[in-house]
Amino acid sequence: MIRLVRAEWTKLFTTKVWLGLLLGAVVMVIGFSVLFTSFAGNAQSGIPAVGTPLYEELALATGANANILFLILGIIGMTQEYRHRTATPTFLTTPRRGQVVVAKLLAYALVSVVFALVVVAVNYVTVVIHAGARGAAPALTGDNLEVLLSSALALAIYAVIGVGLGALLKNQVGAIVGALVYLFVVEQVIRSIPATSGAYKWMPGGALEALTATFQGPELLGAWQGALLLLGYGLVAALLGTLLAVRRDVV
Amino acid sequence: MRLDGITPAAPDERHRRGDIISIPSTATVDPVRVEVRGLSKSFGQVHAVTDLGFTVEPGSVTGFLGPNGAGKTTTLRMLLGLMQPDAGTATFNGAPYTALPAPLRTVGAVLETAFHPARTGRNHLRVYCRAAGLPLSRADEVLVQVGLADAGNRRAGGYSLGMRQRLALATALLGDPGVLVLDEPANGLDPEGIQWLRGFLRHMAHDQGRTVLVSSHLLSEVEQTVDRVVIVGAGRLVREGSMEQLRSGADGAGTVLVRGPDVARLAEVLRADGAEVTQEDGTLTVHGTTPADVGRRAFATGVELHELRSRTSGLEEIYFQLTSGSEQFAAPSPTVPEASR
Repeated sequence: MIRLVRAEWTKLFTTKVWLGLLLGAVVMVIGFSVLFTSFAGNAQSGIPAVGTPLYEELALATGANANILFLILGIIGMTQEYRHRTATPTFLTTPRRGQVVVAKLLAYALVSVVFALVVVAVNYVTVVIHAGARGAAPALTGDNLEVLLSSALALAIYAVIGVGLGALLKNQVGAIVGALVYLFVVEQVIRSIPATSGAYKWMPGGALEALTATFQGPELLGAWQGALLLLGYGLVAALLGTLLAVRRDVV
Repeated sequence: MRLDGITPAAPDERHRRGDIISIPSTATVDPVRVEVRGLSKSFGQVHAVTDLGFTVEPGSVTGFLGPNGAGKTTTLRMLLGLMQPDAGTATFNGAPYTALPAPLRTVGAVLETAFHPARTGRNHLRVYCRAAGLPLSRADEVLVQVGLADAGNRRAGGYSLGMRQRLALATALLGDPGVLVLDEPANGLDPEGIQWLRGFLRHMAHDQGRTVLVSSHLLSEVEQTVDRVVIVGAGRLVREGSMEQLRSGADGAGTVLVRGPDVARLAEVLRADGAEVTQEDGTLTVHGTTPADVGRRAFATGVELHELRSRTSGLEEIYFQLTSGSEQFAAPSPTVPEASR
């Protein structure tokens, strides 16, 4: 299994997809952090002032917004085998295809932890510089540290979900578009309609909020429950994908 | 002659490079017999492969022949565990592919010439070295072996079709396998590349005792390479045997070309014998006979001849006869993967 995980890392780091997505996530988190800090204390924005604990927790949770890029990282990691038809040599090398899926889950989980720590580190540094310039840099202690680590955990779990989703759908463009539509349209609708908002806490977006958000929102699960629920979504998708899609004939 | 952008080398030098230096120290490998028994596979209404059985012996090159859509690729994919057969088995010394403890070390296969376009040839190979637990140095060794050493650091997306075939072959060679399975490997190779491949496959089989199965829809493409043939049509076995057996079956089945100043009289005589004759100016095409028979009749009738020869190799003719008719079953099946490729 270690061999297969290392093979997945070789695949990942011999193309530039990882670099593009990581840079995208870094740029994104810098943008959000700056935007957030700029409007902190502005009465119309509703963002608390710099120096308040609530502001700090919110500003340090912006890294979680890169979840979509980590999702895409996982999706590409799985679906590239089908898109570029490398599924044939991959499954010739490892005929027990479930092992390939497990190796990808492990490889992308571990890589994403590192990438996610980079993202939250950039998040923290950006906020420290910007908020510091505005009067009060947040400390890296207590709740602040917990928020940063929760965001990193959420990002890594989203990469695992991406691998699972990719195994289930196999089609790269379809999986990415489907995931975007789901996260930004379907779940937002469910979240905003009172009749269905009770179910929102059980959904991937709700679980992400449970893990990272400190805003007042709809009813949510506890942070650890949210993390386990998210991970469960990823693993269930991978299991279903292995049984229903990956084991099918490679044409 | 240039070979797809690779630095040209004298053919004999390339041959030496391919045959001796780059082959791992083991001169011979453990013999592996490939057995296919009762293999069947349907796609919806289309019976792609039906009750197919044949054996591929070590130490020889076996041609797996049939027209497009005959079920060759489907059979190879079932053999290699990429497709699940509806019935039957395909085994390597008794074990199905998916049960092999180290598949790349037992079987090397060339099925696809598709690679991640952004990954270099060398990195592509390294991925599978890692996955199969082979030393990364194998990547460089097989690149030399297939004549791609100078292109290893270039992105595979920029490779020509011939270079892709070579990289696919390099992937198959990574584990120094006892069995080589190649699906239409000559596609995209230039004449020099085809020549090289012929010598390479014969060397792998005859000198090193490997089992080589190579598919093609053209007999003429592999005629000089293969020792045995397995011919399929419409997913069924049509003929299995040595090239000698196939050739002996070809006797009397050829088409004869006759030219002369007064062949019309000969045409009448041959038609009276029951031969199928077509005439075009001073040329006759006689089907289902041999030059000897036509010459004998011409001599007996006293017709002057300027040319008398077999039009086809005879082998091609029998291959065509064996597989004709199967095409019409296979043709209306666009769902068969091979036809859609």
